[in-house]
Amino acid sequence: MGLRERLLPRLRSRDDRVFFLVHLPVPVIVFMLLASMLAVILYMSLPILEREGLRVFTSNVWRPSDDPAREEYGLLAAIYGTVYTSVIAVLVAAPLAVSLAVAIEELVPRRLRGAVEVLVDLMAATPTIVYGVWGLTYLAPLMKTVLNTLHEHLGWIPFFSKPTLTGLSYGTAGVLLGIMVVPYAAAVIREAYSMIPWHLREAVYSVGATRLEAIRVLLGSVRPSIVAALVLAMGRAMGETVAVSLVIGNSLNIDVALGSPGTTVSSLIASKFKAAAYYEYMMSALFAGGLALFLIGLAVNTLGILYIRRWEEEMHGAA
Amino acid sequence: MPSEVLVVEGLNVWLSGKHVVKNVSFKVPDRTVFALMGPSGSGKSTLLRALNRLLDIYEEAEVRGRVLLEGVDIYSPGVDPIWVRRRVGMVFQHPNPFPHLSIYDNVAIGPRLNRMVKSKRELDELVRWALEKAYLWDEVKDRLHMPAAKLSGGQKQRLSIARALALKPRVLLMDEPTANLDPVATEKIEELIAELKREIPIILVTHSPEQAARVADYTAFLYYGELVEVGPTGKIFTQPENPLTERYLLRRI
Repeated sequence: MGLRERLLPRLRSRDDRVFFLVHLPVPVIVFMLLASMLAVILYMSLPILEREGLRVFTSNVWRPSDDPAREEYGLLAAIYGTVYTSVIAVLVAAPLAVSLAVAIEELVPRRLRGAVEVLVDLMAATPTIVYGVWGLTYLAPLMKTVLNTLHEHLGWIPFFSKPTLTGLSYGTAGVLLGIMVVPYAAAVIREAYSMIPWHLREAVYSVGATRLEAIRVLLGSVRPSIVAALVLAMGRAMGETVAVSLVIGNSLNIDVALGSPGTTVSSLIASKFKAAAYYEYMMSALFAGGLALFLIGLAVNTLGILYIRRWEEEMHGAA
Repeated sequence: MPSEVLVVEGLNVWLSGKHVVKNVSFKVPDRTVFALMGPSGSGKSTLLRALNRLLDIYEEAEVRGRVLLEGVDIYSPGVDPIWVRRRVGMVFQHPNPFPHLSIYDNVAIGPRLNRMVKSKRELDELVRWALEKAYLWDEVKDRLHMPAAKLSGGQKQRLSIARALALKPRVLLMDEPTANLDPVATEKIEELIAELKREIPIILVTHSPEQAARVADYTAFLYYGELVEVGPTGKIFTQPENPLTERYLLRRI
């Protein structure tokens, strides 16, 4: 087999070869865009990595200075805040998204389904700044009441160990993110749920299941899609910037209490980027934050893929 | 005297306004195989789904007429469809165990949902009983907790039968249970039908007159929603009264 045969798919027909070659540039361009983005992020974060090493990810300091020798940056609080708020978001979004998907498929009368779908799509299309403003003026005061009440009665639980003065906190950011990612997760789950073969629905009702029991069994059969939906939701939650930076309080804080203010990588980048050019290393530290986001996203996606692959192997692998 | 477990009287079904089962009446005696045969599109499967109220889950279905299960009209207002489905087992054309559940859980799902057993041991025994009845126990007893998706087509269909039997139904409905199986698996299912009818009446939908002739005691011929003829299988096949039946058996329609 020649090199050409090995590199190109086996296109024996001349027309297929032409088609392949004409379309080749598109995936190549897309791949190069992604590669160049990564390259820039890596290149820009090199100065801080050379100076501080991995400490830039594992320490929690933010000390800009006119004297480059005294500058020091550590992203730990932002990385922690990103992961913490996204996990809260997924925990909030999971039950909502599953219920929404099932409700649209099973409960909404067919005539109204179109209208409900438009509403959900609208929820996804709403600019994130709108969520942010709503979160700041409505959700944060509400969360303040909720978190403080929880603190009063269940203060011995670490999550509720601190009251909040403003409502701007991990908890509020997580809940807001959770609400924002519901339509994305719900769309994936709904797609999978509607693809369940009719004969499986008939089977579950034929053994005397009630509606609720049937839904539970059928949801079990699309478990990998639910995981995929939540991975997608988590990715979106981690990347979200404007809305979060409005409600999280922007403080370099590491705390398990939901009432504490914190920050995330995205909102840190957004809030510091303008001033970063005045300092020698701040810009590079912010790019290192981008790198960290990329790596966390990669890790979450990999875990999701591994879970789905294991499930598939269990279902269809050798007996 | 052998009583009739299931009696159908003047049954009509409309799907999306289309009249697909037209004023059908027949009786199914206990411990017999009752075949519903007819060309595809003749309403056999729809008729079958009216007998366990599975048509209730079709948004556009309307049923009129009476279906008496041991004397109770399953369409009378006080009757819960779940009560009906628990007593009328069903096996489908597509072997459809729940792929994500284990072999054990597939059989146990009916008894669990309907709270039929009190202890794990009782459930174990019921699962084993149903798998034995479905001729599957010996093949799966060492891997009961494997997902059902890994079984062969024929095994899946026998697992579906075990799932239906675990409810200890009074009637078993089978909708072309061998349509997606190879000849060897088909033969096994037919043997199983002959064995099962010693305890429970079976209503078998088939598009194959040969299958009806092989396994059924009574055969009904359904043509475009109308019941053309019904009677003992031997008589239907040797001296059909209606010329339409004769033409069908000779493969002329």
